[in-house]
Amino acid sequence: MTGAFDLVPAIAVLPLVSFVIALFAGKYMPKKGALAGIAATAGSLILSLWVALTVATGDGGYNETLYTFVEGTGTFSLELGVLIDPLSALMLVIVSLISLLVHVFSLGYMNDEGETGLPRYYAGLGLFTFSMLAFVFASNILMAFMFFELVGLCSYLLIGFWFREEGPPSAAKKAFLVTRFGDYFFLVGVVAIFAMFPATAGRFAGEGSFPAAAQAAIESGQTFYGFEAQTAITMAGLLVLGGVMGKSAQFPLHTWLPDAMEGPTPVSALIHAATMVAAGVFLVARMYGFYALSPTALGIIAFVGGFTALFAATMGVVKQELKQVLAYSTISQYGYMMLALGGGGYVAAVFHLTTHAVFKALLFLGAGSVIIAMHHNENMWDMGGLKDRMPVTYWTFLAGSLALAGIFPFAGFWSKDEVLFEVLIHGLGDSPLLLGGYAMGLLAVFFTGFYTFRMVFLTFHGEPRSDVAEDPEPVRWNVKGPLAVLGALAVVLGAINMVPIKKLTGAKIDYLHQWLDMAPEGFLTSVEHYAGKTGLLHDYAGYTKGYLAGETGTVLIGAAISLGLALAGVLLAYRLYNVPRPEEHTDRLGRAKTILMHNYYQDEYQVWLATGVTLPVAKAADTFDQGIVDGVVNGISSVSRFSGRGLRRLQTGVVSNYAALLTLGLVLLVAAFGLMGGWF
Amino acid sequence: MIDVQWYLLLSAGLFCIGLFGVLTRRNALIFLMSVELMLNAANINLIAFSQRFGHVDGQVFALFGMALAAAEVAIGLGIILVLYRNFGDIDVTAPTTMRW
Repeated sequence: MTGAFDLVPAIAVLPLVSFVIALFAGKYMPKKGALAGIAATAGSLILSLWVALTVATGDGGYNETLYTFVEGTGTFSLELGVLIDPLSALMLVIVSLISLLVHVFSLGYMNDEGETGLPRYYAGLGLFTFSMLAFVFASNILMAFMFFELVGLCSYLLIGFWFREEGPPSAAKKAFLVTRFGDYFFLVGVVAIFAMFPATAGRFAGEGSFPAAAQAAIESGQTFYGFEAQTAITMAGLLVLGGVMGKSAQFPLHTWLPDAMEGPTPVSALIHAATMVAAGVFLVARMYGFYALSPTALGIIAFVGGFTALFAATMGVVKQELKQVLAYSTISQYGYMMLALGGGGYVAAVFHLTTHAVFKALLFLGAGSVIIAMHHNENMWDMGGLKDRMPVTYWTFLAGSLALAGIFPFAGFWSKDEVLFEVLIHGLGDSPLLLGGYAMGLLAVFFTGFYTFRMVFLTFHGEPRSDVAEDPEPVRWNVKGPLAVLGALAVVLGAINMVPIKKLTGAKIDYLHQWLDMAPEGFLTSVEHYAGKTGLLHDYAGYTKGYLAGETGTVLIGAAISLGLALAGVLLAYRLYNVPRPEEHTDRLGRAKTILMHNYYQDEYQVWLATGVTLPVAKAADTFDQGIVDGVVNGISSVSRFSGRGLRRLQTGVVSNYAALLTLGLVLLVAAFGLMGGWF
Repeated sequence: MIDVQWYLLLSAGLFCIGLFGVLTRRNALIFLMSVELMLNAANINLIAFSQRFGHVDGQVFALFGMALAAAEVAIGLGIILVLYRNFGDIDVTAPTTMRW
């Protein structure tokens, strides 16, 4: 009988079909391929929901190899497979839902605005959705890598959609190169994992998976290339982390994401906020059993995450373009997820990933709606007063902003609070270093509240500051519909995992935790396996829980601090910017503002690294190649050429000379035989 | 019965005369004749040893050698004809176009 799990490949194949249709038949279709995309992603969403339902009611998972494209004898094989457990089922639903809403929104943002090249656009969206879904249910790390690269390609194609302008192609190139730089380490990491555990074929889940093999290697004291197992695992994990940091825009590889805002806004919502950027975090969660074995790797993840969260949030404070603020907030929020993963909060990270996907997609689509209304002017200083002129956009955007700022009881509050709580208790336990990450994450909460509401007040409140803002262009149902769906979700989605309430009242309402714990025993991907009393985090990373004033007290103190900081940020923004005619108060920061506007000179130093270091090294290597390597080869050939040029003079063309030479040769030969044979 | 070394001396003499002709003369016909002399020197050797050891093999080879010489003369005369047609002369030092 055909069950939901047999149809998992179809979830990815449907958008692939829409890609082909949009590419080849899009220009003959009424909406230029949009309808095919909507139908395909709706199909994917239905199938994903069915799969999730099967996970919830059935045995909780499915892990099959579908196709072995290189059969290894005595070594590893290369496979394509499907891994469905609660984590990937949840992610499938998120990706297909956001993709469907973005397709619908694109009708308003692209079709109604009279853009050209729409078949190319919808083909890109289809290909992206296909790659992302296939990445999510990939059963082994090589397959994950392949689709990881494909989503990178789609990102490149869609950022550079308006390729006739100056900015987008350059931003697309930058995004491609920066993420490729990270993926280079990822590739080496994949090779390392295959080399260390060849029998596992890089599989994520089950007894024959590489996290299980790594655990066994530590247990048995195995060594790899002279390194102890745990050291080798740390190194492989950090190599893979390179790809994660590139894709999830973590410091120092975050610079591409703000530039990626050159792409169409629905693309920013789908790829650069909700899904593709989540691929990095998802990958860490996917192979959490591997990272949990290495406290060093976890510590680095937590610190990179905490630092990125704070670092990006400070830059978001001074930006003038709507989408730029959102871009930096995206970087910052992914920092929180990394912080949670590094701090032992597996569920918290997945929770924040889920809520962030919803409210950030909402904010980007809301920004898209504002951009339509403002005739593609993104400068917030030209807006103002849009509150009364576009109420649907305003209220949904406000819901998303409250969620982003982490205000009770919106979705972001619950997830961000849990992230910080998990890091705090593990920091108070035996890993005090995590408290550094916690402090940075906590400080970032204040900045998040401030820049989010600075953005809201500048855009929607006060008096209109330009003619367009006086009379904005109206938006249609295809813009309002997706906003309404996401807005409702942003309000209520926190209810899937209200851990603080559970801790206070004892009610079992941490549904996401229970959901992720439903992974079959044999998969080794359950929360219990990672973070239980004798889970990997406890046994291998040495994470224990510590509390300030009892468990309940810590919950309350943590929540109160983060909510207080968020509210302080919001209030500051309210005082400064919720006036009829706001001023640029950030000017008072002086030199600090200059540094922030230049993004801490990250681009400058990276360009300097490229032109000042890499280029000379490349030139030196070129000189070595041309001079030494080619020189040796040319030298050897020139010996033959010069000797040939001399010897060819023997061929005079006169027969008598040849005869004389023959005779001479014969005489010499006879003489030589005579001497050797002892005739004389 | 004449000892074999006399035959060898005769053949060596003939060979040297032929070699001298090849190395010194410029007329292509004399060239051809000199080559014939050298070939026949080899034939004499074959026959002399054939008689010395009582085998007919050497004589058979000498017959082959003569047939070979006849063929060679046919080809050689052909070459000389072409030479004359192209250069108006049969001086072997004249055609020097096949060179570096």
